[in-house]
Amino acid sequence: MNPRVVGANLVVSIKSFYREKTAMFFTMAFPIILILVFGTIFMDQENVSFHLYVQDLDHTDSSAQLVNTLELNGKFQITKVEPAVNATQYAKNNKLNLVLTIPEGYERSLMQRMMRNDPNASATITYIYDPSSTSVATKMEILNSVFAEINQRMSGKPPFIRSAETSILTKKYRFIEFFIPGIIAMAVMTASLFGTVNLNTELRQKGVIRKLSTTPITRTDWILANILYQFILAVISTIAMLLVSYAVFHISLQINAWLPVFIVLDVFAFVGIGMVLTRFVREAQSAAAAANAIMFPMMFLSGSFFPIEMMPGFLQTLARILPLYYVNEGLRASMVFVDNMAALRNSAIIGVFAAVVFIMGIFATKWEEGK
Amino acid sequence: MGSMMKEAEHVIEVEKLTKRYGDLLAVNDISFNVRKGEVFALLGPNGAGKTTTVEIIDTIRTPTSGKVSLLGMDVTKKKHDIVPRIGVLPQGFSSFDRITVRETLQYYSRLFRLRDTDVDGLIELVTLKDKTQEIYKNLSGGLQQRLGIAIALVNDPEVVFLDEPTTGLDPRARREVWDVLLGLKKKGTTVFLTTHYMEEAELLADTVAIISKGKIIAMGSPGELIESNANYLVLTLQFVDEQAFEIVRKMGFEPVQDNRKNIKVRVEHTDDVQKILNAIKDAGTSLHSLDVRKPNLEEVFLKLTGEALREGPAGGRGAE
Repeated sequence: MNPRVVGANLVVSIKSFYREKTAMFFTMAFPIILILVFGTIFMDQENVSFHLYVQDLDHTDSSAQLVNTLELNGKFQITKVEPAVNATQYAKNNKLNLVLTIPEGYERSLMQRMMRNDPNASATITYIYDPSSTSVATKMEILNSVFAEINQRMSGKPPFIRSAETSILTKKYRFIEFFIPGIIAMAVMTASLFGTVNLNTELRQKGVIRKLSTTPITRTDWILANILYQFILAVISTIAMLLVSYAVFHISLQINAWLPVFIVLDVFAFVGIGMVLTRFVREAQSAAAAANAIMFPMMFLSGSFFPIEMMPGFLQTLARILPLYYVNEGLRASMVFVDNMAALRNSAIIGVFAAVVFIMGIFATKWEEGK
Repeated sequence: MGSMMKEAEHVIEVEKLTKRYGDLLAVNDISFNVRKGEVFALLGPNGAGKTTTVEIIDTIRTPTSGKVSLLGMDVTKKKHDIVPRIGVLPQGFSSFDRITVRETLQYYSRLFRLRDTDVDGLIELVTLKDKTQEIYKNLSGGLQQRLGIAIALVNDPEVVFLDEPTTGLDPRARREVWDVLLGLKKKGTTVFLTTHYMEEAELLADTVAIISKGKIIAMGSPGELIESNANYLVLTLQFVDEQAFEIVRKMGFEPVQDNRKNIKVRVEHTDDVQKILNAIKDAGTSLHSLDVRKPNLEEVFLKLTGEALREGPAGGRGAE
């Protein structure tokens, strides 16, 4: 190992990266854009407010009070629909997924129940809805729970089953805080895997590797320079992602020594996979395709974007054999749940994996053109 | 060859070198030596085994059998000692796309762990002075090759290997590369060159080895090769009408018609030239032009192997 040779390669890699704007974009800007887009989407969902259209056919103080109760719930922005229009037609014409209709005689029925204690007196509120809409079910659920509470209160007895909540987390975390460690793990994986595959196949195909094999640079110098370069990119990219997340979403994540540990392991694992891959897939284009074939299942199945508990059982089993899963879990354990034991367990698993593929990668990297 | 060379003067010694790729015998039991300070050209068509040979000598590949020593060291055992003392321009040379001429030379200088490389001198030598800040990708093919030659010289090597330095270049760019190589020759650098351009070998080489199908079939200075293999003249005739070809053929010669409709005839003596001209005159066919000259390396090669060095004329414009 010669530090000057490693340094010279590092300088060339960083200059090439800096001068290649598309690589800059996909490595640095793309993960940040993902965070901004998904962060904004999920941010809205946390203090979500649905549009609700209500047609009050009763037009009395009681019905107005019901509408008021719905509004006070805080989940709805209510728009009134004129009693004169056909609500079904109105929903169709205006592409509304839900119109609530309070029937004529609502107040009369209410009085009958309250004053005369008539158990047969009831009011039917109609949901005119579009079952193909994704948010309509949530809206109807919230409405049902509001109505259930009203019914319960009218019965005059306190509820029997009550609920109490105890979070297993030391603090409440938001989706964005779950999301960011996943994006960091994914961005580092993508950059390391593609960086290595592109560098090696392109330079080999162009004959640069052949030229290098006639200079005193050793395989160790070359691999070390590549690892260092990928690590520097990963650190810059992680810092950028965290800064943007703090500035825009005011996230609160635990930054401790586990973060660099997982970044290093992530880099080693995927640079190793990249090196093994370029040994067997020699053409630059097919190597990129093979890297994609590895990357996409990792991205979607290992829980970068959403918890794997949301997936069917067999996919959860599959996720557990993907190396990125352990980086995701490990980063979340340290950054979100502050669970050192879980971080240690995950780092051990990914550490062993990274060591194995990296050593395989070293043996797979060849200077000679083949026998 | 007759002249006895002292062992110490050979910088390259190749003995019974063979290289197989599976069933393919790329290099078949070849032996030759290269003297210190000479320009040695390995001339042959594509697939003859030139690149395999040069890549075994400059330590990129390993031989199947045979012994190759470079600067007195076995190439299969002493790669680490050899590499700092040689310079290589590999076939189809390429460098980092977004790194400038100057940065590239500095990079390679660092790979050789050197601190006092005369980067400006190298840039001057390959006449890239006004391109120092240009990135590799934006250089033309000829300039890229010239940078490649400068890189091969970065460690002030004792032997320089240039594998097809002008392949794929247009005639002007090729001349510019030749100028650089003539400069090297003048400085007395030992150069091992492979080429399929006969003009290149004729212009630059002190010794030419002709390789065909993995075998060296002739070796010597360009003059010696022509002298010993082609003791005939080449008569080139340009006719107005086509029947002249038949006239010459019926006289017992073997005329060849090239793609510019010239007729080339190989003749043993100057008398034959006279006979042919008389026959044409008698037939009443008119002649556009005529040329009599000694054969060149290309014809030597053609005679020795029965195959052309490459397809199409040297200008690279292709057949009409």
